[in-house]
Order: sequence, then C-alpha cells, then structure tokens
Amino acid sequence: MEGILAIWQRDLTKFFRDRARLFGSFSMPILFLLIFGGGLSGTMETMMSGGFGEESSGFNYVEFVFPGIVAMTLLMTAIFSAMSVIEDKNYGYMKEILVSPISRVSIAVGKMLGAATVSTIQGVILFLLIPFLGLSYSIISLIQVIPFMFLLGAALSGVGLLFASMIKSTQGFQLIVQIIVMPMIFLSGALFPVSNMPGWLDVIVKLNPVTYGVDVMKKIMIDVDSLPQTVQETMGLHITVFGRTVSVFEEILFILAFAVIFVAIATISFKRAHA
Amino acid sequence: MNSIITVKGLTKTYKKVDAVKGINFDVKEGEIFGFLGPNGAGKSTTINMICTMLKPTSGEIIINNYDAKKQKDEVRASIGIIFQENTLDGKLTANENLKLHCRFYNVPKNKREKRIQEVLEIVDLVDEQNQRVEEYSGGMKRRLEIARGLLHYPKVLFLDEPTVGLDPNTRAHLWEYILKLKEKEGITMFLTTHYLDEAEISDRVAIMDQGEIIAIDSPASLKDQLGGDIIELSTEDNEAALREIEDKMETVEVKVEDDTIHLKVESSDAFISSFIKTLEIPITKLNIRKPTLNDVFLAFTGRKIKE
Repeated sequence: MEGILAIWQRDLTKFFRDRARLFGSFSMPILFLLIFGGGLSGTMETMMSGGFGEESSGFNYVEFVFPGIVAMTLLMTAIFSAMSVIEDKNYGYMKEILVSPISRVSIAVGKMLGAATVSTIQGVILFLLIPFLGLSYSIISLIQVIPFMFLLGAALSGVGLLFASMIKSTQGFQLIVQIIVMPMIFLSGALFPVSNMPGWLDVIVKLNPVTYGVDVMKKIMIDVDSLPQTVQETMGLHITVFGRTVSVFEEILFILAFAVIFVAIATISFKRAHA
Repeated sequence: MNSIITVKGLTKTYKKVDAVKGINFDVKEGEIFGFLGPNGAGKSTTINMICTMLKPTSGEIIINNYDAKKQKDEVRASIGIIFQENTLDGKLTANENLKLHCRFYNVPKNKREKRIQEVLEIVDLVDEQNQRVEEYSGGMKRRLEIARGLLHYPKVLFLDEPTVGLDPNTRAHLWEYILKLKEKEGITMFLTTHYLDEAEISDRVAIMDQGEIIAIDSPASLKDQLGGDIIELSTEDNEAALREIEDKMETVEVKVEDDTIHLKVESSDAFISSFIKTLEIPITKLNIRKPTLNDVFLAFTGRKIKE
C-alpha cells in the first residue's frame, strides 16, 4: 500500500512542478470547444429546429459537446501521463523502483492512479469555463461526475501503460498516441453523435471505452429525461449493443472491467521488465 | 566468518551464448568483495542475477539466507544497489528522493527523517538536501545515490562502477566515504570497477573472464602468486639488451611491450645491483615496482582490463 501511495504521490508532485505541461494541455480542449462549440452549434441547432420544430426549442449543442470535451481531456491526459513510465525507464529511475521490494502490481496500480488523478484534475479545471460558455449544469451533477471521471481516467491510462510497456522512446509513444487517440475521440460521440455509423465503424464505436465514458458523463451532467425523445435519439443518447439499450450501470461496469484488465497487463509487463 | 552471499553452479545461457558458465563463489559478511573482469566477461549478467533482476538458467544464489530465485522480495529488501548510471529523480530534491526510497523499502514512518539525516551526514550533503537533484554535480549525485543505497540498512551494498565518469579528485573522496562506511556500519560491499587501483581496497577479489571465475583471493596473495617484483626499463638498443638479458641473467619472465622491457624477477633487491653492472647497453629509463592488480589481471586473462 505504501508503495502505491509513494508512486502515486511522486507522479502528482512532478505534475504540479511542470507548469508548462499543466497549461499546455489546455490548448487542445479549448481549440475544440471553439471549433465545435462556436462553429458547429449554430448549424446543429438550426438542423434540430428545422427537423423537429417547436419540440427541440431550448436545445443547446454546446451543452452536449462540453462533457465530450472533458472526456477527451481525460483521455489525452491519462494516456500522456502513462508516458512517465517511458521517461522513468530512460532516466534510469525505473531501475530504482524495480529493484525495490514493491510488488509489481503496486507499481502498475500506483502509475494508474497517478494518471487518473492528474487527468481528473485537468478535467475539473475545465469546469471553470462553464460560465464563459453560457452553460449551466447543476453543482450536484458536477460533483457527481468527478468520481466517474476518475474511473474513466484510470481505465484510459491503462491504454497508455500498455503502449508505454511496448515502446522505448517518448517520440515513438507520441506518434502511436496520435494514431490511436484521434480515432478514439472521433468515434466516441464526444463531438458529434455516432448513432448512425456504417457497420464496421459501429463495431469500433462499441468497443471504444470512451464511447461509454462520454455517454455516462452526458447522462450525469445533462438533464436528459426532460429532453424530447426525438432529441435524445438524434444526439445518440441510447447506445445499443446487440439490439439492446445499455444502462448506465452496465457502462460503468464495462469501464471498470477495462481498467482491471489493463492494470493486469501492466503488472505482467513490469514483472517481465528487468532493469 | 559467515557467508552473506553463496553462489553455486550459476549459469546463464542466451540463445546460443553461454554468458555465465557454472560459477561458484561466496562473499563473507563484512568484507569488501571486488568483482573484476574485462567487458563482456559476464560480470553484469552475474550481478543482475544476484540482484533478482535476471532469471538464472540454472544454479543457486543465497543472499542473507534467502533464495534469490524464490524469495525475491526478501532478497531485494536485503540489498542496496548503486548502479553505474544515474537513477535519481532530477525533478525532486535530494530529501524527496530519499523519502521515496524509504517508502519503497517500508522504513517505518517515525524513523524516516532520522535515517535520512544520518545518511546525508555520511556523504556530506546535509546542507544541500533541499536542492533539486538536477542542480547537483556528478560527484554529489553519486554521493546521494550511495546515501540512498544505505537508507534501508541493507546487508550487502552493490557498487557497480561507482566512480565511472568522475574526476580523480572526486573519485578519491568517494572512496573515503566508502571506506568510512565500511568502518562505521560494517556493511558487506560487492564492488565492480574498471580502475584496478581502486579494487586494491577489497579484502578479496574475484576475476571473471569469458563466463568463468579464473581467480579468487586477497589482492596481496594474488600478487604473491605472480611471484617476485617487476622491473621495467628502456635502453638505447632494446633488442641487443634483450639478448643479453636472456643469455646472462636469471629472470622469471621477460616481455617487451612498446619500447619497454618488462622483467619479472624473484627479488629485485638481489637482482638489480648485479644487473646494472652486467648490462653493457646503456639504460635510458628504469623502474622497479611490486606487482599491482593490473599485473595480476594481465597474467590471468592475457589482457589489460580496458581493451
């Protein structure tokens, strides 16, 4: 336990010391908010009122995109935080960890919790933009969504840990991440509905953990039930797997299982590693 | 004295290469054990297996009564390792680096700060402990790593090329610290180094070559085994001098390297006066010395250590 805490705390301390990283990682979500929020919202809202008329009045597209952008930030921060494993290998610190009596599963869990904490902090800082975007989420829903953000961050950092265990250089890692992260964002419903995808793309959407993460976040943050049925369907708020609509509980379970599987893989990779 | 490390029939085979070929040795409690050998001799492979970082192909390793293959965590808790390369976290302060180490090794919370100050004092870094390690000089980093290796009171401290890349002055200081440590704490030290003069402080040395241990003894008796003293000289005509020496004199061994003649004789005191009288060719340079570990190494492996 002490080992997990030590590894977790080290990554946090280093995160707060690295101010460039802290601020630099906000450029992307803000850019996306400007493009998708400012640029696309007019179009989306016109389409909605054109299609459904009165029923969809009061529909605010930015309200839907914002949870998606937060999830995107979680994904990027969680995966990039896992890069610390590669840095530790290159700067030799991983040796110090590996020759100590800490159990290998503690190393994996410590790294995962570190990345989850860092990404949750980054996500929560984005909440500061809410008033400037003219949005209003209830305080309670914002507080409720934070534990889930932590879980999602942990699961997604698992993906990063997997890559970090296979790749030796940080440059290589960044390249792979670009190739993986972008599709994970675009095929998750974070920025636009993905309910009407062609078959093969639909498979990717349904396997993508971000899909469920974004969906849960929207359902916690937005008062979905008060929206007209047509709007709910158009915005892809009912994800179906094998013709069955999945519940929030099942989605959370899927993400939890995802996190456990990836921490197990990471443990094996630390067991194999000899400094 | 009890053995703190016992190695029996240890082998490591990579696909086709036998890196370590069934070696046996033991390290006694409280001694400084020098582990020497040219590059590629199998030293690092052996140390990695002893430190539980590499799985042996076969053989047995016992450290502090624990089996390095089965009781990895107990072995890891019993040893401290100073690696060849820097393994500190530069973004953290020295104190923070040491605190982390305490937590990795389960040093009880109420003893941490006291031990940290204690080891910092040994290596003279008390005043610099709140600086980030990236601001440290090479020598300071090395000292901090030694301090860190001691924090959990290991039974054996492994020092893998501890002075590599340091200037001579810092090197000398570092050995002072290491010797001080041996005197004060009585820790067993397992040392590898390229600088054979530094290995002289060892109580015993093992020489490894091509996966085998070819000699193991105290530096003094290894040098005694070579027998006699060494005379190095240059003359105006080395070839003629060589002929003369081989004709007229009783030497153990004669060798020519570059433009120096190396003579090994049983006793230089008895030999030298008659030698100088007898030799007709004028001598330009003369040096008489006792054998060093370098000579031992050369005699056993047929090579100098840094080839």
